[in-house]
Amino acid sequence: MDKILICDSITKRFGGLIAVSRVSVEVSRGELLGLIGPNGSGKTTLINLISGVLEPDEGRVLFEGRDITKLKPHARVALGISRIFQGMRVYPYLPVYYNIELSARSVFKDARLARSKTIWALTTTKLLAESAELPVNLTPYKLKMVELARALVTNPKLVLLDEPFAGLSPEEVGEVIKIVRKLNESGIAFIIVEHKLRYLMKLVERVVVLNEGRKIFDGSPSEAMNSEEVSRVYLGVM
Amino acid sequence: MEELKYITIFGFFHSLTYLVFSLGFSLVFGVARLPNLSYGALYVFTGYVTYTLLSQMGLDVILAIAASILLTAAISLLIGEFAIKPAIKFPVSVFITTMAVAYIFEEYFRIQMGLRPVTLPLYPGTTVLIDVPVSNHWFLVGIISSIMILALLLFLFKTNTGRAVRAVAENWEESMRLGINPLRVLRTTFIISGVYAALTGILLTPLKALTPSGGWTPLFTAFAVVVMGGIGNVLGTVAASFIYGFTEQLIIYTLGGGIARVVPLILIVLVLIIRPHGLFGRGE
Amino acid sequence: MVEVSKLVFAKPSKVSKVRKILPFLTVVSIYLTLPAIGLRGFWIDVLTRVNIFLLITLSLDLYSGTTFYLNLGVPFTVGVSAYTLALLNRYLGVPVEYSILPSAITSTIFSFTIFIPSLRVRGAYFSILSLLLPIILAGLVTSQPFSLYLGGEGGISYFPLFFSYARALPAGERVFFLQASHFYLSAAVAIVAYIICYKIAYSDFGFMMRSIGQDELLAEATGINTFRVKLIGFIASSFLSALAGALYAAMRPPITADIFVPANTLVPPLTAVILGGMGTIVGPAIANYLTLIIYEILWGVLGSWRIILYMCLLIVLVLLRPQGLIYYLYLKMKQVFSVRIFKHLGGV
Repeated sequence: MDKILICDSITKRFGGLIAVSRVSVEVSRGELLGLIGPNGSGKTTLINLISGVLEPDEGRVLFEGRDITKLKPHARVALGISRIFQGMRVYPYLPVYYNIELSARSVFKDARLARSKTIWALTTTKLLAESAELPVNLTPYKLKMVELARALVTNPKLVLLDEPFAGLSPEEVGEVIKIVRKLNESGIAFIIVEHKLRYLMKLVERVVVLNEGRKIFDGSPSEAMNSEEVSRVYLGVM
Repeated sequence: MEELKYITIFGFFHSLTYLVFSLGFSLVFGVARLPNLSYGALYVFTGYVTYTLLSQMGLDVILAIAASILLTAAISLLIGEFAIKPAIKFPVSVFITTMAVAYIFEEYFRIQMGLRPVTLPLYPGTTVLIDVPVSNHWFLVGIISSIMILALLLFLFKTNTGRAVRAVAENWEESMRLGINPLRVLRTTFIISGVYAALTGILLTPLKALTPSGGWTPLFTAFAVVVMGGIGNVLGTVAASFIYGFTEQLIIYTLGGGIARVVPLILIVLVLIIRPHGLFGRGE
Repeated sequence: MVEVSKLVFAKPSKVSKVRKILPFLTVVSIYLTLPAIGLRGFWIDVLTRVNIFLLITLSLDLYSGTTFYLNLGVPFTVGVSAYTLALLNRYLGVPVEYSILPSAITSTIFSFTIFIPSLRVRGAYFSILSLLLPIILAGLVTSQPFSLYLGGEGGISYFPLFFSYARALPAGERVFFLQASHFYLSAAVAIVAYIICYKIAYSDFGFMMRSIGQDELLAEATGINTFRVKLIGFIASSFLSALAGALYAAMRPPITADIFVPANTLVPPLTAVILGGMGTIVGPAIANYLTLIIYEILWGVLGSWRIILYMCLLIVLVLLRPQGLIYYLYLKMKQVFSVRIFKHLGGV
């Protein structure tokens, strides 16, 4: 199968603390991968390492066969890795339209193309009516949509979602899932970090479980549910 | 060879004073993540206050020193409470407020005291140390500095308040989860940094004459040291101030005092090029 | 699409566009006729000075007002440029008319070479480095051995801009010729700089700079090459300051280390930027004329106390309405932005 992303035993230390220890993860083109684990297990660090916010101390990150370990985040976005941060992270004093267009503009040098991509992203996430609003006037769900639109506008092949369901109602989670499914059908791969396992397990095709910076499980959601080690880590959360 | 002796002895003493001064600066910088640009003004403030109390009001030396340290600590607390704390969410405003405070002091002293350099009485006597005459005042500076450094290290590593300071410097959000109030910790660091600025001011003014704009050089020294050592890294600061002190003395004795002004600039730029998070920093 | 049709407003017609810039044109033309209708002496000099300072204010607002990286090193760029001009004249005999642009370019290159390392990292490094530069340089200029070559306390003296033309005139007209020509040159540069800055600040590039100011990590992670944006923004802004320095030096010899003193070249523009509303260009430009003219008037009344007064004003402005300032910024932006967005949507 065509691997789009390969993390080759990457390690990240903060001072004496090992946040991610020799973790290898592979993602196929168009795959939906769930990344779970208890608090402090290194999920967000792993996302940061893939998106380039952090650089690994050891190991390599390959994207479409190319070594991107030393690449800056913005260069990775141009290659096709987008991410959504934990929490609602938008530019507070820029209107929705610019929140999205700036990313498009930095990837596509052609202003017309950037503009039409922005309109497309706004349409996909049903944000057109809010495009002139400032983020303070939006609901958490709409903010999430802004972030999603911003991730989509750069033509990604892989999208990293860090807790996309946090702070949303069940109906809104359903909407997000619908959009993720639709985008996935068009060939975009997703890595989703999420605590709300109920929704996640129904959505993803495969899960990777981290604990204390180590990968302890890699397989289908149903196997994960039955795995003894996974349930021990989660202490009956599932 | 003769120069090497001078460089070693005075490099050592200078390093100690830089360390004391930088520690006070680094406390606030580490906790607030923002520099207090009026820290140099506190140094000047103490010098002028002590001078006024001693020579114009004729106070007893010990009393004058105690009074000016208290006053500087109070001013430092006021600056912290009114110029840093309310603006901490918007870094640009901290730069503006603290810089403005520094210039208010500078202009005020320029108007009130004039541009003529002011000095404080020196501790009398000279001792010859490996053929180099060293003023006894330097020994006094060395002893008091060492005591202050040890006291601060003990405070930071052995007391609960000190541990809280380190925790907040390490990670503001995480420390809040541990039940520490970062704003209260910040207040503590304002007072301590005021005391440390005051003591260096009193110790160094007799050796280096004081002018209204004399606070900038110490501030830049402190900044260079903190950047070299890594922000919020106490042990890094200790090592960096010794590197700084010896480098500076080396340049003064070989290339002259004029060019030595550029030392902090060169060191900061070099560190930013080679290791942006400090020679002893751990990265982000 | 229903949503789009709801949003697409009528494109602004040509008439309304003219009407939009009409107030600007009126103010500018009245301003430019001032010397012709009898403005003489002290005030024409003050206005020339304020015109030049508009470049510094715009430079601060263009970079620091959008990226929120406070550039306290403006006096450095201004001063280096002024000294380059003076030195070119003293050692190479270049008339100031020809050395304005070369000096400005030299100073820009100097500035960004020194600042490149600090633009790479986030945080306080940039501002402190910028604070340190002018103070160190002011010390260098007046200390041995540099003072020998740089004129020391007395500075460097030379003939002002357009002096060779003024010499040909009868003695009674020389002063006014110099004043008026300086006024018109500085005003022309100021107007062009204002229009260019406005265009940049509200272009896509301007918004990228704003995104860095609002959340640099986010900007970097969503595809914006923050280092590149900061570098280009910084170069543009430095060039404005440098140009101001060269113009100022060309018109106001002798040049002394005073130009590095923040009370002279940083405090008034910074006050204008904060008072006017950071990143709005329009606000600081208006505030520039207010604060600087008042600063000049206060010189006679308060002397050095005016610096303390302005510093207090800065603190009060920044502290009492930190949200107020941002709120102001937000209100301003909302109006400006909505017009632009609809224009964009209409163009698709």
